Amino acid sequence: MIGPVLDGSPSKACGCALEFNVEDGNFLTDDFLRQLINVGEVDILVGLPTHNNAKTIRSIVQTIQNGLLRSFPRERAVIINADGGSRDGTPELVTAISIHDARPTPNPYALRTLHSISTKYASNPDGGVAFRTILAAAELLRAKACIVMSPESTNIESEWVSKLLRPISYDGFDLVTPTYRRPKFEGLLMTNLLYPMIRALYGVRIREAHAPEFGFSGRLGSQFLNQNGWNDGTVGIGTELRFTLAAITGRYRVCQSFLGEKSQAERRSADLVPALRQTVGALFSALEPGFSFWSRVTGSQPVLTTGPDQEMLLERVRINRKRLREMFSIGVAELESVYQSILAPATLAELQRIAHLREEEFRYSAELWVRTAYEFAAAYQKSVINRDHIIQAFAPLFRGRVFTFLVENRNSSMNDVEDNIEGLCVEFERLKPYLLQLWKSKE
Amino acid sequence: MPLNRDALWYKDATIYQVHVRTFYDSNGDGIGDFQGLEQKLDYLQELGISAIWLMPFFPSPLRDDGYDIADYNSVHASYGTLEDFCKLLKSAHDRGIRIIIEMVLNHTSDQHPWFQESRSSQNHPRRDWYVWSDTDTGYKGTRIIFLDTETSNWAWDPTSKSFYWHRFFSHQPDLNYDNPAVREQMWNVMKFWLEMGVDGFRLDAVPYLVEREGTSCENLPETHNILKELRLKLDEQFSGRMLLAEANQWPADLRQYFADGDEFHMAFHFPLMPRMFMGLKLEDRKPITEILQQTPEIPPSCQWSLFLRNHDELTLEMVTDMERDYMYDMYAENKTMRLNLGIRRRLAPLLDNDRRRIELMNGMLMSLPGTPIIYYGDEIGMGDNISLGDRNGVRTPMQWSGDGNGGFSNADPEHLYAPLIQNPVYGYPAVNVASQRESGHSLFRWTQRIITVRRSTAVFGRGSIEFLYPANHRILAYLRRLSNEAVLVVNNLSSTAQAVELDLRRYKGNILIEMFGNNIFPRVGDLPYLLTMGPYQFYWFRLRRV
Amino acid sequence: MREMIVSELTQALHELARGFAHYLPRLIVMLILALAGWVIAYVVKVILRGTLRLINFDKLAENAGASQLLGKTALPSATELVGRFVFWVTWLGFVLLGVSVLGILGLQEQIARFFLFLPHLFVAMFIMFFGLLAANFFSRAALLAAVNANVPSPRVLSLAVRSIIVAFVLSIVFEELGLAEQTMLVAFGIAFGALMLGLAIAFGIGGRDLARRFLEEKFVRPKRQENEDEPSPL
Repeated sequence: MIGPVLDGSPSKACGCALEFNVEDGNFLTDDFLRQLINVGEVDILVGLPTHNNAKTIRSIVQTIQNGLLRSFPRERAVIINADGGSRDGTPELVTAISIHDARPTPNPYALRTLHSISTKYASNPDGGVAFRTILAAAELLRAKACIVMSPESTNIESEWVSKLLRPISYDGFDLVTPTYRRPKFEGLLMTNLLYPMIRALYGVRIREAHAPEFGFSGRLGSQFLNQNGWNDGTVGIGTELRFTLAAITGRYRVCQSFLGEKSQAERRSADLVPALRQTVGALFSALEPGFSFWSRVTGSQPVLTTGPDQEMLLERVRINRKRLREMFSIGVAELESVYQSILAPATLAELQRIAHLREEEFRYSAELWVRTAYEFAAAYQKSVINRDHIIQAFAPLFRGRVFTFLVENRNSSMNDVEDNIEGLCVEFERLKPYLLQLWKSKE
Repeated sequence: MPLNRDALWYKDATIYQVHVRTFYDSNGDGIGDFQGLEQKLDYLQELGISAIWLMPFFPSPLRDDGYDIADYNSVHASYGTLEDFCKLLKSAHDRGIRIIIEMVLNHTSDQHPWFQESRSSQNHPRRDWYVWSDTDTGYKGTRIIFLDTETSNWAWDPTSKSFYWHRFFSHQPDLNYDNPAVREQMWNVMKFWLEMGVDGFRLDAVPYLVEREGTSCENLPETHNILKELRLKLDEQFSGRMLLAEANQWPADLRQYFADGDEFHMAFHFPLMPRMFMGLKLEDRKPITEILQQTPEIPPSCQWSLFLRNHDELTLEMVTDMERDYMYDMYAENKTMRLNLGIRRRLAPLLDNDRRRIELMNGMLMSLPGTPIIYYGDEIGMGDNISLGDRNGVRTPMQWSGDGNGGFSNADPEHLYAPLIQNPVYGYPAVNVASQRESGHSLFRWTQRIITVRRSTAVFGRGSIEFLYPANHRILAYLRRLSNEAVLVVNNLSSTAQAVELDLRRYKGNILIEMFGNNIFPRVGDLPYLLTMGPYQFYWFRLRRV
Repeated sequence: MREMIVSELTQALHELARGFAHYLPRLIVMLILALAGWVIAYVVKVILRGTLRLINFDKLAENAGASQLLGKTALPSATELVGRFVFWVTWLGFVLLGVSVLGILGLQEQIARFFLFLPHLFVAMFIMFFGLLAANFFSRAALLAAVNANVPSPRVLSLAVRSIIVAFVLSIVFEELGLAEQTMLVAFGIAFGALMLGLAIAFGIGGRDLARRFLEEKFVRPKRQENEDEPSPL
């Protein structure tokens, strides 16, 4: 445990293990707290978690500033950078762009001071701790509307600030999730699993429940911050998804806002397992505490969306489909002992059957996919084996599903793809009783 | 009390701006006069001011509140006689109070004999005293100042069938300063009053003296030369007198009016004033510090003149469009309050009659670098009457007591030059000098006190300014220094309590002495100096090393 | 002569009686101890069973793969098994304590040694149990990682990991039990060393190019983008 630091120096706690304890009151460093005192109450808070983003951070912060000055010139705002131990000077770049009268280059569009402050929350990046830092700052500064932006989004535009904040500031929404324009075959984890499953279980049609940028009200942020679960590490993983689910189960007002083209500094295709942990792992672990909510939901409702639901870029992306199918087959074969613990015998048998089909005949049908997902969720809840292993075991099956999706939509237009996704969603909703049955058995 | 003979007396002065007509009516005709003002000099001496700036009192048709002058060498009959004025001058000097009068150089009333002669024929000797043209296309692009009433800077004169140039109202034709006779005559006018004993002139509308094609017709070099000429003559013949420029310009343009200390002694810092109000509403010192950062250094003998309000609208000419919209929305939601790119309200109503805000704004007025000017009535927190047209809402009779007519006059209320404020909040029964003199905590007593504290040191009038930039942007903090004296001023612009840490390392070892109570505060050490401040609170600390 | 035989007989009878008198109380004590031990052992078993149920020991055992093992050999559940084992050991302990009261010299020494051995036995069982747990966990982790990284022969790798861990655990258990410790240790050392050396040679010679590319990727060049292989999931 770290004791209180009284000598005014920045807390040396950041160097050691993450033993943060809210009751101690030491979650935020003394230095950061002092900076927050100087910022005072704000109307808008922009959170920016970073780790070694020196290449892109300057232009991103300036874009955010322009967005704020253009759309909210009279509101008190602050940009808070939660840094996970950058070694390339990222925090200094952020604070250097602060709009402050001590700096002699006045911006004619800036009516007010616009602070850009930074804090190092740990020596290694941790999305959950970063988000918690941002929420704590938002609560202390009584921010009414907040957005989180990602330093990875290289093509962010200043309008994004307004698109995410306006529904909160002017229309009273509590959560604004983005929708994007993206290539046909990107984001399949969202379209094939997370979106339909959250839709079926929670009854809300949110396309991007785990997004790098989103907006939320101070009210929702405060409620999420003060729940238990931060200390035992469960909330720290996949925080963005948990946040969305918390908004849904808390019956907060949710809407979507179309931002633009989604791009990232690096295409992270090789990070499937970490992505699964952040999203599927978080979703599965949230199902147990949220059972009383989602077990009663039937059907689903669309949410208010400004702009299109989703737009498609028709850029051609070269994908090695063969490799996907191979990994599926290998996975089904080699992980048989693991799948025996997780899947129902009929499902496993079906998977083994299609694994032996030729590529032209191979098809991971929607119904089989839904059953797979639900059985995994139930196995996760019961912890039939180590939960992280359950998530890892999911990866080959997902690849198989991706293969089928690619084949089925090879020549499809945007509307056709949307129809297919809609069909999958309907299937998820239709088979929801199956999940409930699995859930209740052996309880 | 004899007059302070220092040549730089204006740097230490506290000026009181008043119109004779509004102050006190001694003869019962409903209009204030010189004798009335003279009778109230004791009050002004008690308040502690050291100079009075009198609004124009010349004979005039009064279509622009006296700025349309019809005779430069006399006084308007409603206010008394020249003799009355001389007596007033002497009485004021006896009390150590100087008198500064208006001098409108740029234009006269169209009722002035000069103009009557000038327009009578194209060949009259005085034809050239004004700016005539056969067309109204000359000096195109020159901005119109009174936007709400005028559509052009040229007016058609049916008598001489030509156009004449006027930067202000159409009944105020501009004098032609390219004519040496005009220049000579205007100096003679000034000499007339200087010989009588006035201590200085506020020269109205100086940027517009000279016009040239293809320019903005403002701040031209020719204009400056004329002014330098006047100053030269003044210094030669009347030392110790002062010229104050009224030039509503950006600081960089204002700088020219000081030249090398051989033009004006003082100039109004117009751009600062709206930003003080803006900073207060934003609860952010940024507008204030930025305008002062952009304010250039001026010659050592020169001085800025600071004010919160005056007889005109709170001008928003020297701000950006975005800032103007903000000021309108915050301070003048009711559109009738807006006039000519400004807001025509008094200080107290602008600040919601909030005593703390009034004190804070006055505190800044008294501690920022420059000579402060108090607009009559603001020292007791008078209100305004928007239903009176133009800017007359802020020029209502001075409220002396709760008696009839506010103690201003014995005349029937219908005969007063303007109605008194009567609402329950600002009306004369509630807001008046007599009751405030009785109370130890009234705004009048507070203003008296702060003037006294200000006068206790020359630092405020003559010292340098160095801004501290604490991270808490709601705190405006600066150091005023003069030789080895130093005063720290800290202002909380926010409506909520604030904590601020000041970097005073260079003053380590100094003890802070709060100047109103003279209590000692902790000594400055190595750590940042922590102050906690209540809403709208301010501190003045003398730094003392024992 | 008859008196001699009678007196010898009497003496012998006396000695026998004395012997009985000497041992009978102890025998009674021993029986009491045995009885008390039975009761105590039973109580301990019930408490232990309850405790194990509370911490969901069966689940843990399942994770260790022990349950599958037990199932195959038609033994009862892990909780039950542990409970019964503790019961028997405790009761046996009390019985042996009773026997030691009898005061039979050679036996006492053996009994003392038995009791000294008991902690080692428990520790060994403990190590075995958690060792199997770890082996199961890590072998599965290796299997999953290998499958997801598209490494060839993932099951072989998984089995190798399991074998190494089990061998390591066994060697510790044997050392703890004091059975052929040195032999086991040395055997393990040789086997492990040989395996590692073999792998190193194989990797170095056979996978030279692969090794170089791997190191280059890791330390010299930034990660290559695998655009052609998979679309971005998020």
